[in-house]
Amino acid sequence: MIDLYRDIARRDPAQVMRLSRLGSLHQCRLSFMRQLTRRMARENWRFTRPVFDIDTNGVGHAVYTAHGPERAYSLVAFAHDLPPEQRSDRVIAEAWDATFTLFDGIPTAEDIDRLSQNVPLQEAGRISESELSLSRANRSVRLWAHVVDALAAGTQPDPEQIYQVGYLMRTTAVYGSGKFGAADREKTADRPELSAPFQTEMLSVYLTRTFVRDLVQHMAQAKGGDQTASLDPTIAQWLGIGNSTGLGMAPFIVNHPVLFNNWIMVREEAIARVRSVPQATPDRIAQFRAIFERSKLSVSWWRSDHLVQIDKLAVLRADLDTLTAELAQRDLTENLPWDALIRWSEDHLSEEGQELLASLILEPYGDLVDGLVDCMADSNAGAQVIDGNMSVAQVRALIRQSFDWALDLDWKAQANCARAWYVSEEKLEPRLGERFEEPIAEYEQPLAPARDAATAYDALSHWPDTTHIAAFLSQHPEHRHTIRRAQMGQVAPYGEIRDNTIGADVMPIDMLRAKLSFFGATHFDPRSDRWVRICMYAGAPYPEDLSADTADHWVYPRAMT
Amino acid sequence: MSFSLNEVEATAKRATRGAGYGWGLSEEAGKASRWLCAAGLDGAQILADLLDRGLAHAPGRHRPACQGNEWRGDEILCPLATGAALSDHMGSLRTGEITLTNVAAPALLLPFAANIARNLKTPVTITVDGVEVVTDGPSLAMNPALPSDATLVKVALGGILTAPAACASRAVPDPAAWAVLNRFAHRTYAPATEASRLLGAGSGLSDND
Repeated sequence: MIDLYRDIARRDPAQVMRLSRLGSLHQCRLSFMRQLTRRMARENWRFTRPVFDIDTNGVGHAVYTAHGPERAYSLVAFAHDLPPEQRSDRVIAEAWDATFTLFDGIPTAEDIDRLSQNVPLQEAGRISESELSLSRANRSVRLWAHVVDALAAGTQPDPEQIYQVGYLMRTTAVYGSGKFGAADREKTADRPELSAPFQTEMLSVYLTRTFVRDLVQHMAQAKGGDQTASLDPTIAQWLGIGNSTGLGMAPFIVNHPVLFNNWIMVREEAIARVRSVPQATPDRIAQFRAIFERSKLSVSWWRSDHLVQIDKLAVLRADLDTLTAELAQRDLTENLPWDALIRWSEDHLSEEGQELLASLILEPYGDLVDGLVDCMADSNAGAQVIDGNMSVAQVRALIRQSFDWALDLDWKAQANCARAWYVSEEKLEPRLGERFEEPIAEYEQPLAPARDAATAYDALSHWPDTTHIAAFLSQHPEHRHTIRRAQMGQVAPYGEIRDNTIGADVMPIDMLRAKLSFFGATHFDPRSDRWVRICMYAGAPYPEDLSADTADHWVYPRAMT
Repeated sequence: MSFSLNEVEATAKRATRGAGYGWGLSEEAGKASRWLCAAGLDGAQILADLLDRGLAHAPGRHRPACQGNEWRGDEILCPLATGAALSDHMGSLRTGEITLTNVAAPALLLPFAANIARNLKTPVTITVDGVEVVTDGPSLAMNPALPSDATLVKVALGGILTAPAACASRAVPDPAAWAVLNRFAHRTYAPATEASRLLGAGSGLSDND
């Protein structure tokens, strides 16, 4: 047990919750994928493939079952022969290379028959309380062809191409929590293996990755026959699963302030704990230095064609050089070494570098921080209930706590409200539009908490301090959602983004990156200001290799010898 | 067809917004409909019947003046505005019961009463034109079906929850009522244009790389 020097507080939400910083977050050991792989290894999960019935055209279905200590979960995968003109990563697509559901238990033939009528249709089908998720994926066309052709010719694919693309298929949506008829989260939230956020979705993607590896081998075999090579496991390890994500994730973090707070607050608590370590042992210092070196290799594989991310990557690489030079000089044997390093980074690194370092210092201290993951779910349904007894003065103070920066902004100025979030009638896709150029304002979703807080604050200005907020709400029901959010700030200090989410210069990908970093995603690759590709599970052990030794640090590559 | 409770909540929230209520009450209507379905009632039907009455067109006439312990409105009370007001004033129930005169769809008061029970850690009894219903938060014990309008509703702390019904994990709403909710929800969706299709979600249409 380490005695902590406990005067180092969590970082101020005003520093952490800026969009530019949220858009610079990196995965860490608290990430949802790593929670899952550690648990599955610790609990000796078994994996089976009871069905693999796919023809030489790549059409058919397969079942992959993960057996936990008390329950089993099965990925039911349907493989399709998709013409290229139908291959779209948009929510409005209607066909995919592969479609999936995570079944709660082990499906019968009748279940699979029912699912085969529905899962390939995705949003247009219906699943049931027996299913926990619904997802689909498309091939990365170039890498898929390269791997199939290489193996069929009896050779191995080029590792460089694999490192840089990172996956053979990318998912374009993974739906959980009761969507399209699936089981509600409440059905599984009390199960230890699924109580942390997004464990269902992460398990589904983990099994999907194994399916895709098996499918590419199967297709190579169909093409190459006897001369086909078996994919080298050390190359296969660096095949992750991609994800192509549009705007849908951005509303999620605004609509779930308590949940988002819990993710951020847990990471901030973890950082504060490690910064409070009085002395670092040589063993922990060595672990940190080794992980830092491996993270540099991961960053070297990170590519993007998007101008903003190209700049951010250049800055991050410069940060890594600066940090490398600094670590050559520091022996980290001083008092509070991690705190000193973080303080140094605030003066010498960009937000990209600062946040990478903040994630990396957690790595040697699993014993100090891993237990915090139990606090990342949102079980506080009571936070939704407004306290009508609170005084107007208290509510004003809560609004100022999260939005003092927004109260004096001119919210009538076009640049400050240029955008509006709305839902299109086309497959209910979330979109962001130009308020002054498109007829969308009347459909606006409540995704501008700062503007709404400023409006409510203004409306409150004529009310006496000691009046109960209930009286105000009975006259002004239009501010009800804003007062609710303000009160949630009491339990969720990191629940509100401290930036304008409808300004002319908002970058929605910053919100996507914040969420995806908690999943454990890597190689964030924006395709526009509101659409991004990322990689999941690249480097992770496949089920047959999952063990205590491989379950945790897989995200950091080792140089190939 | 069976729906998840999450689908009920999302659809009810959008429908309430589409019917003209603010986002705050719409959020509460979503949770209220979900709670009713979990309690074994058809929350979609109850909400659809309310939204069809169009009370949101003149909200000020359908919300209670929360003075003293006898609340009434200019016209029949909206249960969403009234339930929210009861929740906001839950502390006043400690000093005595609150009486409501003329309430539409009184079953929608039950989920708000359940929140009060959960917060104050005591059962709450609602008496609707003489029919007594008790909730302790998650569960409901109820006598015969509630009327679509109530002349007199009493809300009081206390009561004994006999034979609470098991919570349902799915909803099987009346198809016509579900269609009504979707019709209202549809009003919140912007018609797609080619420009919004291309710009709004930010991606191209091809995934062939």
